[in-house]
Amino acid sequence: MSIFLSNEIIVFLLIELVLIVLMSISQVNIITILRHWDFNATTVLQYALEKKNYLINTILYFTIVCKIILFIFFVKSLDALAEIVPGAMCCAGVVGSNNYGNVLLLLKILIIFGFGIWIIINKLDLSFVSFPYLKQKYYLFSFLFACVILEAILEILYFVNIPLTVPVFCCSTVFEAPKLPFGYTQTMLVIIFYSLFSAILVLNYLKDAMTSFTCNLLFLFAAYYAITYFFGIYVYEMPNHKCPYCMLQKEYFFIGYFIWGSLFLGVFFGISPFLLEVLTKKHYTKMYRYSSLCLVITVIICTFYVAKYYLLTGLFL
Amino acid sequence: MKKIVIKNLNKIYNPNKANEFCALKNINLEIEDGEILILKGVSGSGKSTLLSLIGAISKPTNGDIVVNEHSIAKLPDIMSSAYRHKEIGFIFQAFNLLEGLSVTQNVIAPLSLTKMSEEEVREKVKKALLIANIEHKKDQKVAHLSGGEKQRCAIARAIVMEPNIILADEPTANLDKENSLLFIDILKTFKSLNKTVIIATHDILFDNLDFVDRYINIQDGAIV
Repeated sequence: MSIFLSNEIIVFLLIELVLIVLMSISQVNIITILRHWDFNATTVLQYALEKKNYLINTILYFTIVCKIILFIFFVKSLDALAEIVPGAMCCAGVVGSNNYGNVLLLLKILIIFGFGIWIIINKLDLSFVSFPYLKQKYYLFSFLFACVILEAILEILYFVNIPLTVPVFCCSTVFEAPKLPFGYTQTMLVIIFYSLFSAILVLNYLKDAMTSFTCNLLFLFAAYYAITYFFGIYVYEMPNHKCPYCMLQKEYFFIGYFIWGSLFLGVFFGISPFLLEVLTKKHYTKMYRYSSLCLVITVIICTFYVAKYYLLTGLFL
Repeated sequence: MKKIVIKNLNKIYNPNKANEFCALKNINLEIEDGEILILKGVSGSGKSTLLSLIGAISKPTNGDIVVNEHSIAKLPDIMSSAYRHKEIGFIFQAFNLLEGLSVTQNVIAPLSLTKMSEEEVREKVKKALLIANIEHKKDQKVAHLSGGEKQRCAIARAIVMEPNIILADEPTANLDKENSLLFIDILKTFKSLNKTVIIATHDILFDNLDFVDRYINIQDGAIV
């Protein structure tokens, strides 16, 4: 059986194709808009460009929202593929089945973050009469569009290279020996996790854009390892099950979507003010409270599993 | 003070298509604050198009319209709506009222989008009904009114937000002579309230009115 005959992959690739076609049409028009845009002009061309700008904004907003939703579908599809990829028990096996999986996933997350920034700039741009951030948002989109093309190439390479006859490694590899960065222990990882979380809350309160940006990126990195190698084992209630994906499954009440979703959203809102400042030269402090809220949710869920296990058994794993 | 400044305004419908139609050609016009202006011309000459552009209902093909020193030709849709709501009172040939509602309910409609207190709303509605001379029918359903009464209800609705600019498109086309003269009387009140009024009409009753500041003839989309 070919991986391209899987229902999920057919649907995923068809939607992806439609979105790329829409984005390509937009990109062609964006080039025209960027070349000839002069808001102060009252010429036929400028009025035509302004009409075109509205159309492009609508198309892009639609495609970008679809792309963000499609990311969740992509993760669900990989989970479903575990049934036909020999040896795979969850996403971990499917993602790690060839060299493109992890790169593709990372690129997808970066693109989603980029699109999130684009949506915010677009909203700001449309709230003024003179479209002050038009060029910035279209340059950003052009960059993201190039990333989307790269992503599409990687997707094809990834799907083509998923082995369906040779068994792949899955969570079994992480069962064996947990590899923590820089030789950290679990205790140190948990201390870093909670310390960075506390620091972010303080920085979000102080609205320090650059330091908050740095701390959020560090927290994303630390949280990935802390959730996979510490909190995850309490979710699975198995000391050797260190997998970031299994918690997305039904057996664990899809809790992974809440943990990773709130983490990504929290980090996104934490890094956005600095990036928006760079792009628009203005301060945006409203997002810090969303950042704090989302990260508090992540930490509460993670801590809940540890506390629950300890209260029920009187032990730590 | 210049209330409205129109510069090199053109409006082409269906540009670059077989049915392309140039509705307005290179219009340049300045309208003073408190001026009453009558746009005259036969049907299809471009009067209504000009009104719709001043009212930000449609956008020009090129050129600019400046109202209160702000260009309105390029306003995004959401801001155009706010501009119309705050600055413009429209009076239409077909009245465009909600037939199932009463006169008061129709007049209140624009105020329902504001955060005014009930007391303020009541006061404004009363004032508008008095100016439009329709207070005696305030509780009557619009469907039961005569043409002239409907037009006066439409006038009350147009002025209830106290706009500075009133645009009227063929306001007497559906009225008999008596009601048309009543409408002209109300125009005099607008003059005394220092409203800027632009009326597109080909009704001869509007000829040679002493309180009208200017008559402009439009022919084939151009001022003649």
